[in-house]
Amino acid sequence: MNEHVIPWLGAYHDGELHGGRLQQVEEHLAHCATCRAELGELRALAALLQSSPAPQALTRPDHFVAQVGLRLPRRPVQPAWKRCLKAGWRLAPVGLLGAWAFVRAVFLVSGVVLGALQVGLGGDVIAELLPASQPGLSLTRLWSLSGASLSDVGRVALQLLGNGGPLGWGVMLKVASLALIGLLYWSWLASWWAVRTRTSEHQRTGY
Amino acid sequence: MSSRPAPPTDAELELITQAQQGDRRAFGELVRLNREGVINVVYRMCGDASLAEDAAQESFIRAWQHLPNYRPRSPFRNWVYRIATNVALDVLRREKEAVDVDAVSLPSPERGPESMIEGKERGEQVQQAVLSLPPASRAVLVLREYEGLAYREIADALGIPIGTVMSRLNYARSRLREMLTPYLEVL
Repeated sequence: MNEHVIPWLGAYHDGELHGGRLQQVEEHLAHCATCRAELGELRALAALLQSSPAPQALTRPDHFVAQVGLRLPRRPVQPAWKRCLKAGWRLAPVGLLGAWAFVRAVFLVSGVVLGALQVGLGGDVIAELLPASQPGLSLTRLWSLSGASLSDVGRVALQLLGNGGPLGWGVMLKVASLALIGLLYWSWLASWWAVRTRTSEHQRTGY
Repeated sequence: MSSRPAPPTDAELELITQAQQGDRRAFGELVRLNREGVINVVYRMCGDASLAEDAAQESFIRAWQHLPNYRPRSPFRNWVYRIATNVALDVLRREKEAVDVDAVSLPSPERGPESMIEGKERGEQVQQAVLSLPPASRAVLVLREYEGLAYREIADALGIPIGTVMSRLNYARSRLREMLTPYLEVL
């Protein structure tokens, strides 16, 4: 309580103190004549500064606005296609999110359908909905049609390749599409960050 | 300390958007709305009314040129004040002899109280005392005392931390109290 609060009086006078600090200053002022005198001087100084007359307007407001208007340099107006491109770039994350949701939904539905088929549920309905399945033209089949002979290892490798690797085309497609969406999203994020940093720097140094 | 400055109002935002797209009429409206404050800031910074009008026009022209870079996170007024302060500092550098700090006559304690209470003279002495402050402290003082900006707004307008706003303001007030003691005693 004995410690003066002079360093905080300016902020107190300007109404910039809150919470505990405000309470501390107010409690101290109630008991300390020195700090009250200091605050009085700050208030007197503010009143004195206000007594200094404001500049007399030399130009009428509308005249001033007109003069500024005449001195404004020409600034190229952004063409519509550029504005659309800019808006599209800003909306890119929404599009990517939509694509991600779509891919997930497609694979979820196909997973459910395949699961149902495996346990023998709704087979007839699905068979009616889907076109008659063609015999698969796997790479091994194509190879055998060409008349060439294959070793067992080669046959297995081609079989795997034909089915999209050990996990199958479905999983490969899912991973690839999600990875592509992720890559596009991170690229957008990186370019957004670069633009933001450049703009902040520009504003800091040159408005 | 202080909260973030409020963003522009919807009407102001509309004008800013139109002006950013090259609408001179919308920009003219922004000039009309902020003219008085900008002239006042420049005048308090450089102390010459005609110079202040020229510098205020220069500030608005710079604002027009940089408008595409303006992001309306803080009031347009603060952004223009920042430009106006920089323009005023440029003017001071160019016209250094016109407001030479060494040539500023500060109030003399020997002068009689009769002359001190002359309103006009007192105003001039106050203005000269303000002009004798270092430009960095003067800018903070002008934005606080004459434009009533909050600390956060001053920090935002001048691109400095709030702690620096406080220390510069304390310094400016302390200097002014020393220089204007005779007038403070009269009040």
